[in-house]
Amino acid sequence: MMTKRNGFILLVLVSLAFLCWSNTMAAKPIVLGCPLSTSFLYGWDAERGIRLAVEEINASGGVNVGGEKRPFAVEVIDTRDLEPGVPVSEALLAVEKLILGKNADFILGGPVRSEAALAAMSLLSKHKKISILSTGALSPKYHALVEQEYDKYKYCFRIHGEAKWLVKEILTCLMEIKERFVLDKLFIMVQDVAHARAAGEILNKLATEKGWNVTGTEIYPTGTGDFSMGLIKAKKTESQVISIWMDMPESSILLKQWYDMQVPALPFGSTLAAAEQPGFWDATKGKGEYCLANVVNAGNAPSNATPWTMRFYEAYTKKWKIEPEGLGSSSSYMAVYVLKEAIEAAGTIDSDKVVLALENTDVNGVYGRIRFDKKTHQVIPSLDPKEGAVGSIFQWQAGKRVVVFPKTIAMGAIQLPPWMKK
Amino acid sequence: MDILIYGVINSIALALMALGFALVYGISRVPNFAHGALYVVSGFVTWALLRAAGLHYFLSICISMSLTAILGGLIYQFVLIRVRGMPISEIIASYAIGLAILEGLRWGGFKGMTYTLPVFIDGSISIVGTPVDFHRLLVVLAGAAVVFLLWLFTRFTRTGLALRGMAQDERAALMLGIDSDFMAVVAMALGSMLAALAAVILLPLGNIVVEAGYNVLILAISVCIVGGLGSWMGAVLAAFLIGFAQIITVVYLGPHFQMVVALLAIIITLIIKPSGLFGRQKELEERV
Repeated sequence: MMTKRNGFILLVLVSLAFLCWSNTMAAKPIVLGCPLSTSFLYGWDAERGIRLAVEEINASGGVNVGGEKRPFAVEVIDTRDLEPGVPVSEALLAVEKLILGKNADFILGGPVRSEAALAAMSLLSKHKKISILSTGALSPKYHALVEQEYDKYKYCFRIHGEAKWLVKEILTCLMEIKERFVLDKLFIMVQDVAHARAAGEILNKLATEKGWNVTGTEIYPTGTGDFSMGLIKAKKTESQVISIWMDMPESSILLKQWYDMQVPALPFGSTLAAAEQPGFWDATKGKGEYCLANVVNAGNAPSNATPWTMRFYEAYTKKWKIEPEGLGSSSSYMAVYVLKEAIEAAGTIDSDKVVLALENTDVNGVYGRIRFDKKTHQVIPSLDPKEGAVGSIFQWQAGKRVVVFPKTIAMGAIQLPPWMKK
Repeated sequence: MDILIYGVINSIALALMALGFALVYGISRVPNFAHGALYVVSGFVTWALLRAAGLHYFLSICISMSLTAILGGLIYQFVLIRVRGMPISEIIASYAIGLAILEGLRWGGFKGMTYTLPVFIDGSISIVGTPVDFHRLLVVLAGAAVVFLLWLFTRFTRTGLALRGMAQDERAALMLGIDSDFMAVVAMALGSMLAALAAVILLPLGNIVVEAGYNVLILAISVCIVGGLGSWMGAVLAAFLIGFAQIITVVYLGPHFQMVVALLAIIITLIIKPSGLFGRQKELEERV
């Protein structure tokens, strides 16, 4: 039977536990402001990644800020920056509202469109708010600006791949395709947005240097609904691979037309949002089979890049009842964890101190080793997850997204459509 | 040959998008800025009936077109009729309704790229070396059939003749016992049904997204301005002009400039012939 003394001790312990718990819960939350284009894949996938990480972190006690446990809180504002015709100023208003109206301590996720992300840099600098881009914005100009004017833009970080690296990655993959299938004619189709135009130009230059015959480059305005003339051009020039840089929903029309016309060229998409979603297969009735898609970082398609990859993949699927869909899922999830580590290392949420902590980040995450370049604040990429942030290119094969590149994490090999086989 | 084939396809697609807008304006003089929204909403309704309710595709299309027609009629009966004759209010009211529908759909979770309708006939053929899929050929046939049926309807049916009477001279039509308000509701319902018809014919080529509503509205307006507001035959001709101009632009200047063509057509028309090719707004020309 419990004595009075034991009962008292138990009561004290329970009270202490409750006190600790209530302290954590009552502690002022660290507000993560997320300016995201929530109606688009790269917006909602990022939001889901962020919310999942926040839920996990809060469930494990929150963030240790100089000895005080504080939870994360998420504030999302729709920037609409991926919608055609919406001016960049809308995204800037969203960022400003998050900082001034929602009292965001950090900005995470977007803006998603490169143009908007670039425009927001000065705003972040003015308010000394750390931002970790984790979805969509791929323009190399972003980290180039950080390097050029470090003191001004030191608060800007990007945790996912950028266009220049993606091109290198794609080029490496293209060289594998070239060697394996003896193909050397490349046709480029890009959307008329900053990162895609830049990527198209770089790819054209580098592919030519590597022995590819670039048969044409077509730039499509956002909202284009017919790609027949471009595909006919690709067919007439006997192109064998079509590099597609488009995140607009209409890109699925392109893939349907490609299939219907039986264009003998392998579609290779980057930021090809339409093909990234698991629902793409049903939506196109399988017409998107053989399409390759670069989802920027591992974890956005199933692979065993690191022990954390499938853990994240399954947790995401369990929570959201759908697999990670777009290129911003794993990076947005990791952005929260990396920020947590940095805040704990700095022992404060003071921006200047957290900047230094972020610069020293070295985490083995969902898509490999995550470190930032100290001069550019761009995540250091690699083809090996042990060395850096690893990318992920998958191919639609029999209704499944099979990771085929890089070799270190590949789950299958690239296949050609039957009408391309000689 | 590529230009000819895809020029015709593109032109007919534009005509299909614009016919409903032209019809409503021609009869009721109300610029229906909710036209794009009705186009999208009918796409989603068809999708819901087909995928969620599991109805037959053809039945889904029929129900969707009917529902869109009723929606259009209701919009006119309960909102637009109150601002009729006040052009700015008509534009604001119809645009607001369109915006509410489109943003409501987005708010309701209709976002993403996985909402699609199946094509009527799968596969493709080669016409003189140019590959064309069967569904695009169907677009051409359907477009031609719609124009022909519309012509028959407005010439050989009592309702069609009443609508024409309204379009020509509303006061004279009133004197002949035609209920102008009722006819305007009919015109709006018919215009909405044409928007729905365009949607179910064109959307299987791609996917159903909210943003399409804005694009369709812009294209329909440009076709109608070039063709002459109120003239549906003018709209058909303008669709061919803009449709071919777009394809030629894609081939010789690049797809980059494709979207500019429609907007440039509006500007050029407003400078050279503000009433459009077959427009009846002569007073506008006189003013200019």
